[in-house]
Amino acid sequence: MLSKFSTYLEILRVQFKNNFVREAVYRTNFFAMVTVDLIWLVLEFALFTVIYSNVPEIAGWNRHQVYFFLGIFFSSDALFTIFFQRNFWMFSDLVNKGDLDILLTKPVNPLFLALTRWFNLTALFNFVLGLIIANQYSDRAGFPGGVHWLLLIFWFFIGVVAAVMIRFVFSVWVFWTERSWAFSRLYYQFYSFATKPDVLYPPVIRYTILTVLPFAFIGSLPARALLHGLRLYEYILVVSVLIALYFVNRKLWKAGLRRYQSASS
Amino acid sequence: MDENRSPLITAENISRTFRSAKKESGFRGTVKLLFRPQYQVAEALKKINFSIMPGSFVGLIGANGAGKTTLLKILSGLIPPTTGQARVLGFEPFSRTKEFRKQIALVMGQKAQLWWDLPALDAFDLIRAIYEIPSSIYKKRLDLLTDLLDVQAHLGTQIRRLSLGERMKMEIIGALLHWPKVVFLDEPTIGLDVLAAHKLRKFLLEFNRIEKATIILTSHNMEDIERLCPRILILRSGELIYDGPPARLTEKGVRRLRVRLIETPTITELSQASGVAVDDIRKGDGEEIGREHSESDAFYFSVKHEEVVRVLESLLKRFRIVDMGLEEESLERVIHRIYEGKI
Amino acid sequence: MSLGWRIGALSNGFREATIYRFEFLIEVFGSAFVPAAIQMVLWYALFNLAGATTVAGYSYADLISYTLVSILFTQIRGGDHDFDLSEMIRSGRLSNHLLRPVSVVEFVYLRGVAPKLFIAGVCLVIGLSIGYYYGLSPARMVGAMFLALLGNIIHYQIGAALSTAAFYWEEAYSMLMVKNMIVHLLSGELIPLNLFPPSMQWIWKSTPFYLYVYGPTQYALGRWSNLVFFQSVVIAFLWLFVGYLLVRVSWKLGIKKYLSLGG
Repeated sequence: MLSKFSTYLEILRVQFKNNFVREAVYRTNFFAMVTVDLIWLVLEFALFTVIYSNVPEIAGWNRHQVYFFLGIFFSSDALFTIFFQRNFWMFSDLVNKGDLDILLTKPVNPLFLALTRWFNLTALFNFVLGLIIANQYSDRAGFPGGVHWLLLIFWFFIGVVAAVMIRFVFSVWVFWTERSWAFSRLYYQFYSFATKPDVLYPPVIRYTILTVLPFAFIGSLPARALLHGLRLYEYILVVSVLIALYFVNRKLWKAGLRRYQSASS
Repeated sequence: MDENRSPLITAENISRTFRSAKKESGFRGTVKLLFRPQYQVAEALKKINFSIMPGSFVGLIGANGAGKTTLLKILSGLIPPTTGQARVLGFEPFSRTKEFRKQIALVMGQKAQLWWDLPALDAFDLIRAIYEIPSSIYKKRLDLLTDLLDVQAHLGTQIRRLSLGERMKMEIIGALLHWPKVVFLDEPTIGLDVLAAHKLRKFLLEFNRIEKATIILTSHNMEDIERLCPRILILRSGELIYDGPPARLTEKGVRRLRVRLIETPTITELSQASGVAVDDIRKGDGEEIGREHSESDAFYFSVKHEEVVRVLESLLKRFRIVDMGLEEESLERVIHRIYEGKI
Repeated sequence: MSLGWRIGALSNGFREATIYRFEFLIEVFGSAFVPAAIQMVLWYALFNLAGATTVAGYSYADLISYTLVSILFTQIRGGDHDFDLSEMIRSGRLSNHLLRPVSVVEFVYLRGVAPKLFIAGVCLVIGLSIGYYYGLSPARMVGAMFLALLGNIIHYQIGAALSTAAFYWEEAYSMLMVKNMIVHLLSGELIPLNLFPPSMQWIWKSTPFYLYVYGPTQYALGRWSNLVFFQSVVIAFLWLFVGYLLVRVSWKLGIKKYLSLGG
């Protein structure tokens, strides 16, 4: 068991190292990526500025708490971008071009190989920016700060795990359809539910983004945890939802793989 | 040296069918399909049976679409047989256990098995990590393989930038680093120039001989088959129609009669005159050295050994023969005729 | 002959979009209902949770009706064919199209707009039916749809002009993404544009984007007078003209550069 762990760790190290080989570097154009994300962030800020110019507070959240949330969310999202974004983009190609075969003959989990292939360190900029923004508004948001910042380590982990599993749910359809990008588009539509604090939503939607498609784990719940603290049952909820989602993912992956292999000629 | 003489690979009644959706063209066709999709069933393999001993070097040949790649995919565990059972190294390939995967290698000439946007050395490093090859052993094997295939100079170049021949060599190295017991090669010499193909063949022979690896190779290249495989399996439309040494095919008593005439008759006239079928007569394309195109070219007759004299006599009655010779029918011709169902 | 290839492009585009029926429906569902749901959430939060009674002079019901009616027009809003163009330039596939005797910009547009036209027809029918039930003038609905269609063309023109950046810059698609995000806000898809603070109203008024969704919705709901509507149509045609010039010039220059590099 331990040797298996060390093998995977070594593979991870080599995959990571290979991202920096001079000949093979995938570099997102810094300007392109940062501009797009910055504009996106500015628009989110603008949206809430407009909304809060009409009311002082919504469901117990003032504008500074929302800005704090946006910073946390932006950082969490950046982590996903750094480690998994490009791998998911390439996933549909992997399946459609049959390159998955390469991975299937190797004696390690093919999904692991596929999801650790690319790292995008340009997004590190976003990650830091998000933290700076959160820090900027933390006082006015009523965040005690100090050692409480360390809680973010736990919550970023939760956020990335949730994001990966949700993304997987939307990506796995490539095994069944040639037009999987319709599902990718749907994912990005639904993703807009993640960019607002969950307390804003009517009960039905709120329930959905906390359980079935836990978009709220990416930014909203972490921000809530840091600002107002969570109750015990909510921690239990987080863990159980992630475990359940994991099993759903496994089932989908196995079914998809079976479909891939029986449809191949 | 008779250690384990039970077969390493067995195929029992393997069949493989798969459904594919029918696509009709035209607007109406599209609308029809929206409401009632239609599928066609293709039989890629029909009841294949064979067994292979450890250390063998087997060639798998057949026309395109005959099922070669499908069979390789089944044996390497990528797809399941629809019926029947395959066993490789004691495992059922499709179960894809880790132990199984650690001992096999698959190289498909058309498709990459390595990450092509990496330099070869880094792609190999990943292989090392994946197969848990100890560093010292890895280094030794890497040196040996790169030396044998003469690719040291290219180890730092992105694989996708290499020539086809060099890429193929890298693929082979990547496949063998973990010293697999069974190697599946799908068209390894495709696109290689004569020299590169020759070197690769030499290397494969060495590997099979020294490391006792079992190698199964598909190829359209008759040189590969003739030089490498003491045994061949021929597939036609998914069926196994021949399993044995290639030599036995050419012994079947068919000879190639080469004849050069003063006249320049058509193939139909020759056929009428000699009683040999039109398909069995071929005109040479003047590729012999020193012959001008205006001089008449040779005709090649595929004739059974017993018929040679009779055919010559018939030809002599009608034409004037300048030059003639008798050769063994080439393996290529024989196999061609097998493809076309003449044997 | 000149009409033939255009019809071909349209039917081709329609077929490609709808051949995967399930995915087509998902796309429509995703692009129609999810953004509307998000908007409704905002109104819910503002009115139910924060207790506002009117926002920028609009009541809860006013805003809900804006959201619902705007769905009809967000569907018409231009598609992503400008990404196709920039990808064609980047990958070199443009060369294939340059050989043909038809304008590649127009060809890509017709191919991409085909499903949108179909959807526009459906939305018009839906709009007229709902309008009949709720007392909205059918003439205005038709007029609004017309304006939205003009907006579709303008949007594509802007995209086509921007996509020429791909002649000079590998990552030009990022500009298209930025454009889309800005348009998302300034077209009225995200929130009704009159919710902007008064000091920021000039921002959306100086772009053509409000003609895509905000204008048509307001007109269909009866909040714009006929005068304002006709003025907007004139403005739309002006933008169309400007757009046409932009596209021509930018593509002429771009193709020259493209060909000089060997295509």
